Amino acid sequence: MHDVTAAQRIATTVLQAAREQGAERVERIDLALGAMTMLDPESLAFWLEQILRGTVAEGAEVEVEQLPLRVRCKDCAWEGEVEVPDDPIYHLMPFAPKCAVCGSDEIEVLGGDACVVRRIRVTGAAEDD
Amino acid sequence: MADTNAPDRGRDIVIDVDLSKRTSELADKNLALLKAHGVRGIDVLGSVGSGKTTLIKQLVRRLKDRYAIAVIAGDITTRIDADRIEAEGVPVLQIQTGGACHLDGEIVRRALGRLDLDAIDLLIIENVGNLICPAAFPIGTQTRLLLLSVTEGPYMAVKHPVMVRQADVAVINKVDLADAMEVDVTQLADDVRSVHPQIKVVSIAARSGEGIDGVIAALEL
Ligand SMILES: Nc1nc2c(ncn2[C@@H]2O[C@H](COP(=O)(O)OP(=O)(O)OP(=O)(O)O)[C@@H](O)[C@H]2O)c(=O)[nH]1
Ligand SMILES: [Mg+2]
Ligand SMILES: [Zn+2]
Repeated sequence: MHDVTAAQRIATTVLQAAREQGAERVERIDLALGAMTMLDPESLAFWLEQILRGTVAEGAEVEVEQLPLRVRCKDCAWEGEVEVPDDPIYHLMPFAPKCAVCGSDEIEVLGGDACVVRRIRVTGAAEDD
Repeated sequence: MADTNAPDRGRDIVIDVDLSKRTSELADKNLALLKAHGVRGIDVLGSVGSGKTTLIKQLVRRLKDRYAIAVIAGDITTRIDADRIEAEGVPVLQIQTGGACHLDGEIVRRALGRLDLDAIDLLIIENVGNLICPAAFPIGTQTRLLLLSVTEGPYMAVKHPVMVRQADVAVINKVDLADAMEVDVTQLADDVRSVHPQIKVVSIAARSGEGIDGVIAALEL
């Protein structure tokens, strides 16, 4: 259900950019999805396709790059990737990353907590070639 | 049918919008709007059934003579909570999130547009019963109240420090059931403080009304 909201936001962002550029069609959407977002790439792509039906982005190819959670430990300065467990409990409770070396939960997240719309490929208008 | 096999069709538009960043910008705007209208906003977060609606009813009952209160009730599909709070005689704006499991800055921004903010000085928002999503989606209130109930077991604070750190006030509810649940309320309060030393902790039984004045004091109302 989290996935539906995220898909709606992505669709809004994509359609707004397409409109601003006077695009007639959106052919492709590139996303980057951090592990900490708990978003499921398949479910996200599915909902995005549903929401984009009847718009200039209907049928666009959706590419999702998954990014691991990267953290730095505030206690021992360890930096590295932390596996986000695939457990539905973390849709009800926040997942608290821990340091792989000292076990501390005083963690700074360096990456993998974002959901980014990177770029879209469009056709129509503003064509200078 | 789009010909997805055509290799160099179209042109790329770089967007690079981090939607999680955008949500915090939206939250900042909501907060600025509340402040501009002199409204104090309180976001009430807690798991499903932890007692959010019961607590809000008790707060409203005690505060409605001193503050012009409005309540936003987030609920996935029903009006049940909104009706329960409205029975206390304050306006309630129901936001049906339509399947979304949390409120976010955008949903709350639209709701704020439907309220007469000049006529309100206290806005209480019942977030949807869920902890991970609200942690990721700030909505832009001055205060976040985290409701933990002893029925969720003794380890909530230790297991979930991220949420605890984002809250200003932690309220431990259903202390009347502590013995039955074999939960040591003092220990739970200590656990909360150990992950977030500045947080205020109050123990209550929302249904009977025990300890509600302590919540009001912690909220500085
Ligand atoms: N024993 C006991 N039960 C309580 C207390 N506070 C609330 N309850 C009960 O817990 C149940 C859930 O309370 P609600 O206030 O609806 O909880 P909620 O967090 O709003 O629930 P959702 O909106 O569905 O997430 C109800 O049956 C309440 O009567 C309490 O202090 N003690
Ligand atoms: Mg409720
Ligand atoms: Zn460490």
